[in-house]
Amino acid sequence: MPDRSRLRLVVLGVLVLSLVATLLGRLWYLQVLNAPQLRAEALNQQIHDIVTPAPRGEILDDTGKPFVDNKPALVVSVNRTALDRMGKTVEAQVLHRLARELGKPYTQLNNETTPCTYPKVRNQQGQLVYTSRPTPCNNHLAYQPVVVSQLKPTLAAARKALQIKEKPEEYPGVTVELTAVRHYPKPNGALASSMLGYIQLIGPKQLAALSPADRAVYQNAQVGVTGLEAQYEHYLRGAPGVKAVSVDHLGAVTGTVRDTAPTPGDDVVTNIDAGVQASLEKQLQNAITAARHSGYTADYAAGVVLNARNGGVVAMASDPTYPPGAFVPHISAKLYNRLQHQEGSPLVDKAFESASPPGSTFKLISSSGLLYDGTMSTGGYYDCPTDFLGHHNFDGEGGLGSIPLRTALIVSCDTFFFELGDRDWNRDQHLIAQHKKPVEGVQRIAHAYGLGEQPGIDLPIGEVAEGHIADRYNTKLNWEQNKKNYCAGAARRPKGSYLQQIDEQNCKLGYIFLPGDQMNQDIGQGTVTVSPLQLAVAYAAMANGGTVFEPRIAKAIVSPTGKLVKRIKAPVRDHLPLSKSDLDYLRNAFYGVTTSRSPVGTGVSAFAGFPMNRVLVGGKTGTAELTGTNQNGSWFVSFGGPAGQKPQFVTVIEVNKSDQGAISAAPYVRNVWDAMYGFGGNKALFANGVPPHKLPKVQIVEAGLPPAHHHKKTATGSASATSSATPAAMGPPPVLDARYERQRFARPGAAP
Amino acid sequence: MTDWSESTRAAPIALRRESLRSRAMDRDSFIRQLDWVLVAAVSVLCVLGCALVWAAAKPQGLGSSYLKKDVLNILIGGSLAAVAALVDYRTLRAYTPVLYAASLFGLLVVLTPLGSTINGAHSWIRLGGGFEVQPSEFAKIAVVLGIAMLLAEKREGRSEPTRNDILLCFGLAAVPVLLILAQPDVGSVMVFMITIFGMLALSGIPGRWVGGMLGLAVVGALFVVHAHLLHQYQLARFQALSQHNTSVAAQTFKFNQKQAGIAIGNGGLFGQGLGHGTQTNGQFVPEQQTDFVFSVAGEELGLFGAGLIVVLSGVVLWRALRIARYARDQFGTMVGVGIVCWFAFQTFENIGMNLGIMPITGLPLPFVSYGGTSMFASMIAIGLLQNVRVRSNR
Repeated sequence: MPDRSRLRLVVLGVLVLSLVATLLGRLWYLQVLNAPQLRAEALNQQIHDIVTPAPRGEILDDTGKPFVDNKPALVVSVNRTALDRMGKTVEAQVLHRLARELGKPYTQLNNETTPCTYPKVRNQQGQLVYTSRPTPCNNHLAYQPVVVSQLKPTLAAARKALQIKEKPEEYPGVTVELTAVRHYPKPNGALASSMLGYIQLIGPKQLAALSPADRAVYQNAQVGVTGLEAQYEHYLRGAPGVKAVSVDHLGAVTGTVRDTAPTPGDDVVTNIDAGVQASLEKQLQNAITAARHSGYTADYAAGVVLNARNGGVVAMASDPTYPPGAFVPHISAKLYNRLQHQEGSPLVDKAFESASPPGSTFKLISSSGLLYDGTMSTGGYYDCPTDFLGHHNFDGEGGLGSIPLRTALIVSCDTFFFELGDRDWNRDQHLIAQHKKPVEGVQRIAHAYGLGEQPGIDLPIGEVAEGHIADRYNTKLNWEQNKKNYCAGAARRPKGSYLQQIDEQNCKLGYIFLPGDQMNQDIGQGTVTVSPLQLAVAYAAMANGGTVFEPRIAKAIVSPTGKLVKRIKAPVRDHLPLSKSDLDYLRNAFYGVTTSRSPVGTGVSAFAGFPMNRVLVGGKTGTAELTGTNQNGSWFVSFGGPAGQKPQFVTVIEVNKSDQGAISAAPYVRNVWDAMYGFGGNKALFANGVPPHKLPKVQIVEAGLPPAHHHKKTATGSASATSSATPAAMGPPPVLDARYERQRFARPGAAP
Repeated sequence: MTDWSESTRAAPIALRRESLRSRAMDRDSFIRQLDWVLVAAVSVLCVLGCALVWAAAKPQGLGSSYLKKDVLNILIGGSLAAVAALVDYRTLRAYTPVLYAASLFGLLVVLTPLGSTINGAHSWIRLGGGFEVQPSEFAKIAVVLGIAMLLAEKREGRSEPTRNDILLCFGLAAVPVLLILAQPDVGSVMVFMITIFGMLALSGIPGRWVGGMLGLAVVGALFVVHAHLLHQYQLARFQALSQHNTSVAAQTFKFNQKQAGIAIGNGGLFGQGLGHGTQTNGQFVPEQQTDFVFSVAGEELGLFGAGLIVVLSGVVLWRALRIARYARDQFGTMVGVGIVCWFAFQTFENIGMNLGIMPITGLPLPFVSYGGTSMFASMIAIGLLQNVRVRSNR
């Protein structure tokens, strides 16, 4: 062998050795250094989580009647991954067939099931982009089926579902399952729509706020987005079941790694009484109908019934409204469009979501304020002229000469408050001239009553109106913010027109809190705005001796097995800085509004024939003049309870664009009282006239078990009573799958 | 030459006519002169291969059927190896032109409608009964033998091949290479080129020729890429190694390679156990009983098992190099060198693509991957190596 060859053989040997070394080195890198990361990737590919949503908790009234529960429904889902595997042509055929079967447009069905993240390609600039991202698209995981239809449990729907189920070859990737969906039984016909709120598929923002682990679990979740559903989401949602399955490279399931059953959500027991709620909703409708009959627009009415003793919301409603299930699983574009443009904007709940001038009902606050800062005393007599500096009485009487506060409230004399308001304003101006802080007693008391601030109710803050109480400081602040618009309006609008004059005045002098502003505010007009809920809280504070509550709709959280999870009490936000004698004086004066014959109270006619000797109800009318119309924001607020006892409830009704408060609102408030206490041919809604303190009896019925095996479980206020039930006494654990179904029987004795 | 067989043990002549057993143990006997290290390494590789092919086909429910066929392939391969080892050196040289012509015929037949396409390469002839033949595998042997013969026969009196010898070698190799390129099977073509280059370089041609060939290879590769002579998917196999190509084909190859990497990484030091690889059982890696069988070893046998395959393949190459080094004549050396180059490239390419450092080709891992023709050709190569070795001591 030549030397050259021998040398080259050595080179070849070295080369071979280095190749072997390279492979071993790379093998070491992959299997030792990089192993943890690759192993995680492997796990990620092999294990997929299939999430079974937990049955959501129910929302019940104070007697256990469900406002929201779950009912079984036939749910048609499309597994787009499975369908994709059949090829584009078959996919389109199947979707067309399904669209026809479900009576849904093909494009909509296609869009809803197309994953938002698919297909992703690089564009010419080299960025990764989605080629087509239809709206709505499916932001679920690709292997998680998409719900495309919830069929009503009717015979026709069942037949349809069976047709799909029986022809799997015609519907590859399409499944029909019996699942629990949200159901609204409307107890006593009560809707309570916007208070209950609704659930929707979790949004990208909510999803992004979750931890990565939770994100996978909740990707497909229905979550509360408004109302109580959103407020008590934490309790209502329960814990979804996660079934981790091992999958092969095609995503086909090869086995189950672990399986956690879903934990059903807890129930929310509310202070709402379905009977009162239904009565209030009905009276709002009646008020609107009556006002319209008299030629008024009456675009909306809203009302609240509050438990004055504990701050619990017994009923709260707004009319017009929408059906409670309208948004579940999603609202149709047609209905949404209609609701958005309908007169009275049904999508906004006027009981808590918006605020308007409360008219003379505000006199509770102005009286309290004037008493508080010493401008007025309960023993004093003040003028009630026909007009004061060109301002007239809006509702109620004038020209009564010198009268005490009680009379001014009973007849609702505006000029009485004008004069005192003017005095109040001048006193503050003097203080300012002396470089002292103004007292602004009415404003200060208004805040103590919870006005111009968040009422702190258990609803998402964004949905709850704060209202507005004008003072010197925020008037200037507002002017600074809006000056531009005022001045632009003054220049743009036709010179001398009504709006032009307002704009011009606002442009030049809007920063000054004028005496007229104070006077207007003291009779609940002008810039002051209050929601019916806030007004109810204020009157409740006066009625109960000075305790201002943060009202609570919910009363307790109860587990699905009936165990008390949490008792909810309305927190006390403030105590009124008024003496007991002042409060007693005010309460008596307001009793006079409905009972005084001489002078005649503004609410007397509405309460004609009401058995005041059994249930004593006081109140106040309010008539807020609506600028540029001859219509009013009509209010009546009342408080009362069994005679001789502390007031139990506060009831407020506001009827917009209608007649005076005494005519358009007061009679319907009275009707609610009649309904609550069983007067005028009604059956009393509460035993002893007191809302139940005990939590309702809850009966759990498990699907699939014969009636003899039903387990009764009583939820009481005390945890010890519930813990006495051992697991053995409860029988076998409930079947916790998607078909898990519970039924409740509201009235004790109605259950089999 | 310090071979262990050269040890000066006296041969007891009386035993010559005695039992078969004692004859087999004779110092000069064929059996004792075999390279048993090579036999052992190949045997262990084959056993590992059987186990891995079984494990790889198991998720499809084809474990035992693949195992049976693999064992059958090994047995046939072993017989072919025995024939290749036993056949007379001169006979071999005499029949080389016939073998060469036969393999060319096979490669031509593949291109007719008799051939069938698997994984994009038109390189198979179906024999029926589930058996297929890949003539390009046999062509490797024919070319190794043919070039070895050319380089050896022209050597009388000269120390190195002439220019004409070299050109003749090129010509001899060009015909099968072009035929295989027409299939197209780029992986096999590269095996041929590297083998021919190695054999020529080792035959002692001047350095300028070696440099020239390397230069030509670079220029040729550039030309092939820029003249778009390769199909997009062929290019994509190479581009898959780079991060920047996003064509669908490149993404697919990249995905496959990534899956192989994940499976191997998932094995860790000790592996998940034979038949228990989760990635393997989920069939995340494509072609896992053939081209990507090494990923199964990585996942199920871990660093020790997969490393053993690399080491054993290294042992095979070491023994082959040794046989080439101590061959009696130039023909033997050239056969040995040819086989070393062929095995070295094919092993490195196959394991390298599993480990994500080489582009994806359809080259099987010798002795381990499932595949009849590849097994037969590799076994014949081992037989030839033994033949060279046994003759070197006579």
